[in-house]
Amino acid sequence: METPADLDARIIKLISQVVPVKPEQIKRGDRLREDLGMDSVCSMELLSMLAEELDLDVGVEDAAGIRTVADTIALAARFLRAKAAA
Amino acid sequence: MSAAAVQPVEVAEPDVMGALLTGVERYLRSEVDAAQIDREGAVPARVLAGLGELGVFGVTIPQRYGGAGLRLTDACRLAAALARADRSIATTVGLHLGLGTRPLVAFGAEGLKQRYLPRLASGEAIAAFATTEANAGSDLSRLATTALAEGAQLVVNGEKLFVTNGRLAKVFTITAATPGLGGAQRGSSLVLLESGDPGLSVGREERKLGLKGSSTAPLTIDGVRIEPERIIGEPGRGADQLHHVLAWGRTLMSAGCCGTARAALVKAIEHTASRRQFGRTLDAQPVVREHLALMGARLAAMEALVHDTASLEDDVPGLLQRSLAAKVFGSDGASYVVDTALQLFGGLGFIEESGMPLLLRDVRITRIFEGANDVLLTQLGTHLATAPPPRRALAPLVGPDAFALACSADVVAAALDAHREELSARHKIGLLRQTRLLNRLGRAVAWSEALDATVRAVDARRTTSRGAAALFSEVAARDVANALAAPFGEEVVSSALADLEPGA
Ligand SMILES: Cc1cc2nc3c(=O)[nH]c(=O)nc-3n(C[C@H](O)[C@H](O)[C@H](O)COP(=O)(O)OP(=O)(O)OC[C@H]3O[C@@H](n4cnc5c(N)ncnc54)[C@H](O)[C@@H]3O)c2cc1C
Repeated sequence: METPADLDARIIKLISQVVPVKPEQIKRGDRLREDLGMDSVCSMELLSMLAEELDLDVGVEDAAGIRTVADTIALAARFLRAKAAA
Repeated sequence: MSAAAVQPVEVAEPDVMGALLTGVERYLRSEVDAAQIDREGAVPARVLAGLGELGVFGVTIPQRYGGAGLRLTDACRLAAALARADRSIATTVGLHLGLGTRPLVAFGAEGLKQRYLPRLASGEAIAAFATTEANAGSDLSRLATTALAEGAQLVVNGEKLFVTNGRLAKVFTITAATPGLGGAQRGSSLVLLESGDPGLSVGREERKLGLKGSSTAPLTIDGVRIEPERIIGEPGRGADQLHHVLAWGRTLMSAGCCGTARAALVKAIEHTASRRQFGRTLDAQPVVREHLALMGARLAAMEALVHDTASLEDDVPGLLQRSLAAKVFGSDGASYVVDTALQLFGGLGFIEESGMPLLLRDVRITRIFEGANDVLLTQLGTHLATAPPPRRALAPLVGPDAFALACSADVVAAALDAHREELSARHKIGLLRQTRLLNRLGRAVAWSEALDATVRAVDARRTTSRGAAALFSEVAARDVANALAAPFGEEVVSSALADLEPGA
């Protein structure tokens, strides 16, 4: 069973595949744009990869409003809970 | 106020641009020779000075700094008039009014504005904007230029490419990575540099296909030391500010496309009315008549979309999105109109003296700079997929003159919306990686928005040609349906590519 810390690590690793920042330098509070240097296309790609990797049924509109690493983790956690409940 | 929030501009008298345009058009007719500018590779200094005296360089700069404080819609009318006479002049002025001075006007601190804007408004100083680098072209997030704190100063290092007004400008706004500034670890900032800053050097003039009178040169920034006050707006918020200024730049560039297309259309109308073949003038040939009508329809839609886009000046998210459509629709449209006009000139169109080769060379860059069209279309499609803007049906809102057109526009928009819903239900968030689909969606959005704008122009009686609008509505319906058709299969594309081995 994946713990919240495991999920954080998994998502941070995914982010480090999209931007040239080492996983150990990525923090939950980082903003995707200002702290990680992602443009909007890049952050959309991240969310799409995340849904694929975790096999989540995320809708395209859910991508709007995601600004930070913590937002990304919260989105993943929300959809993982929904998947477990289904 | 949020970092990228726009400072309000004072609104000038509504008829100021009309009066200015009369003088500018008279000046352009008597003093500007586009063929000479093209041959000599520069706009004569006396022409730039004359335009400065007319107030052209200050139209969008607030009155308290010596400008006219006019709106983006007014600046677009000016850009179109300049481009109709000469695209190099329009590019020089348009860059100055848009990317060149907009960062300072929208985000600059009062001290910085007082120091630079009066000279920029008079044209004594011309502005440039430099973001493109060897490895940061369409992908603006890969900036290698840095501005790093060292003691009480910032030290700027980097190389910029293809800087419009490069060899003319006294004031440069550049983008630089500013790690840590403003709390943004990988943030960037807009930084103001002056031509006299030690360490700043401008390279040689590029030799170009067209726009030969517009200066384009690389910039080397080698350890330029500046005070931190030279950062425009809030440090670390360069990406947000960049989106705003790019939207201005794209809108003004699209207005220039209207001017270029109008110049080509007028030439084509005159030529086809006088040239006789097969016992009648060319414009009596049904096929030629259809070409001319389609060119006029396209131009009417371009002008309507530019007007609608520029009217969104105070609605920054709206301007960002609509300017993507205006830029692609305008540059594609100008390319189409110029190319068709040249075709109607026949062999003469290939000869310099007809003026058509110059128009063709000058228009080509418009589909590349200010964002390559395919890149912008994908962005536009992504906008639509993630945050579809609410659209109210036009038919109940318009008067009888525009009612039938509004019904057509509503049908097109409904088809687009149904398609978007189907794609998002089928692909879910994976749609965001289907860039070929997003690109096609973007094209459909641009054409649908052009149709909406055309309907509004007819309703507001900004266009005199309801016929052109009606024809455009048929064109748009077909183009949108085509854009929404399924893309070519991945296997077909891949197997065709496999045949294209290097050296084949
Ligand atoms: C005359 C001139 C004036 C200019 N003025 C300025 C200026 O004042 N300031 C400034 O900063 N820059 C300026 N530029 C630079 C201009 O904005 C860039 O050339 C332009 O943004 C494209 O970047 P690139 O040349 O690196 O092309 P690339 O990014 O290398 O792209 C090349 C082509 O690849 C395709 N492509 C790339 N990415 C994608 C994608 N994601 N999806 C689909 N297709 C893609 C497109 O067809 C594109 O045209 C100027 C350029 C010229 C030629």
